[in-house]
Amino acid sequence: MVNLKTKSSFLRLYSWLPIIILFISVLNEFDFNYLNLEYFSFNFPYILIFYFTLKDFKHFDYFLVFIAGLVNDTVVGLPLGLSSFLYILICIATSYLRNITIRPHPIKDWFYFLFIISLINSISYSVLTLFFSYNIILIDYLINNFFTFLFYLVFVYLFKQYLRGLND
Amino acid sequence: MASSRDDFIIAIRSAFLKKSTQQKFSLLSLILTSAFIILLSSFEFKVIRYLKIGINEIVYRSSFVVSIPENFIKNTFFEVSEYTTFFNNYKKDKKELNQLKSNYVSSQIIQSENRELKELINDYVSSSDKILAKIIVDHESPFLKSIIINKGSKDNIKIGTNIYDQSYLVGRVTEVNYKTARVLLLSDLNSNVPVTIAPQNIQAIITGDGDNQGQIKYIKDGFSDEITQESIIYTSGTGAIFKSGIPIGRLSILQDNLTSKFNVEFYSDFTQLKYVFADVITKTEIQNFDNNDSELNDLDNTPMNAKLKILEDELKIIEDTNLKFKEENEILKSEINNLESEIIDFKNKIFLQKEKINQFDIDEKELNFLRLNLEYGHKCRKSFFNNKGFVVGTSEYKQCVLNKGRINNG
Repeated sequence: MVNLKTKSSFLRLYSWLPIIILFISVLNEFDFNYLNLEYFSFNFPYILIFYFTLKDFKHFDYFLVFIAGLVNDTVVGLPLGLSSFLYILICIATSYLRNITIRPHPIKDWFYFLFIISLINSISYSVLTLFFSYNIILIDYLINNFFTFLFYLVFVYLFKQYLRGLND
Repeated sequence: MASSRDDFIIAIRSAFLKKSTQQKFSLLSLILTSAFIILLSSFEFKVIRYLKIGINEIVYRSSFVVSIPENFIKNTFFEVSEYTTFFNNYKKDKKELNQLKSNYVSSQIIQSENRELKELINDYVSSSDKILAKIIVDHESPFLKSIIINKGSKDNIKIGTNIYDQSYLVGRVTEVNYKTARVLLLSDLNSNVPVTIAPQNIQAIITGDGDNQGQIKYIKDGFSDEITQESIIYTSGTGAIFKSGIPIGRLSILQDNLTSKFNVEFYSDFTQLKYVFADVITKTEIQNFDNNDSELNDLDNTPMNAKLKILEDELKIIEDTNLKFKEENEILKSEINNLESEIIDFKNKIFLQKEKINQFDIDEKELNFLRLNLEYGHKCRKSFFNNKGFVVGTSEYKQCVLNKGRINNG
């Protein structure tokens, strides 16, 4: 009986894992930037949000994504609400893609992801420079965009394994 | 055509408004809320500011807790690599410590003078108090360079408070919460610091390069030729944002084909910060004195006390200096004694060597005489056939032998 209860709570925790990882990543800036590799950075939350909202994962609540955005703004020091805005834009884009797609294809999703992150990074750059007078190097944004795009496939493979484990 | 447009509109409407069974809010409501929050935060309303401070307090603490495992791994790695160079660093540090100790006393004197002069220029006495602050969040964002410290308005931290690593400037506070504060590092693109470049004494403004270095953003035309490699950069105090005379880093010049780029290598490594010092300044206004004796004699008068404190400090510094000079004197005396004993040793050595040389000369002369005596002795010796000769052993005989048998009559 106890064993069954433990198993059930573990399963519950496992099913909430993506949102937990999202919160850990925004609180901890999980992107290997501390390695100080020149020109290397990527945005893990974008990949996570894009994948799980595209899959319409039941435990990936939009409201929690919104809160994660607020947390990210606080940790990074961006104007409050900006990351939430960008994260919700990703959710809208994935929701739209889900609606118009009859037969999903990973490569199409991948390039759609590139389009979406380019769009939201452009919005982020424009808002920060035009409305909040931040000095930001554009090339850093482009590199971040590029590595986020590249790492998408790696993480998609890992997420697929996770979903397979959940279904089993 | 119309059908495809309808499909697009339906898809968009569905994306914005349709809630799946698990979702509590529609995406449209959430995106409008985010836009509203951005708008409110840009207007800096008091309510929003307090709300933000509250969120910051919670999030920074949570971020610190969440970062513990990662920081543990990171710190372990750094500690292991530190141990490998531990002994060399220890020797280097010891040498530096000795040097710094000797500089400390003179620095104290300059500080005291500086404080006194500042007091004469301004109408207030500013006493600064450095408080130790722990860095609770130091995530390396690729775009923004900032850290969060565990001291806030509760500890008198204000926007603009200077933050140090040892005595090197690392940045200033840009956001204050009750128990935490955000520090904008000098390496951030948005950081502008008025500086003086020594020894040329050139005024400039430096900014961060978004990495871990700085660069000169503004310098007056014509002065850039005077700058040399390894020039020292410290704050000029212009604009009263930073205190003057705080060391920042060294200049490195990168030569391209036509242009030269001036980079600033910061003394402090911003990626390795664990604890920093916040310079909390309290200003005490100096009241104008009336020539009233009773007021002058009042011991509770703040400027009077401040002056007395300065004098006490000076006295203490002078005493320290004297003590140091005495110590140096003792060391020099012992050195002189050592040197004198060494001189005596050397003199003895020289005397012995001279004696040896003399003995050698005597021996050589003796040898030479004996050799000549064998050859010319018969010419100088007085005998039956040689009545001009001399008696053996006399000085004339010796002279004759040395003259190779020639007899001097004169």
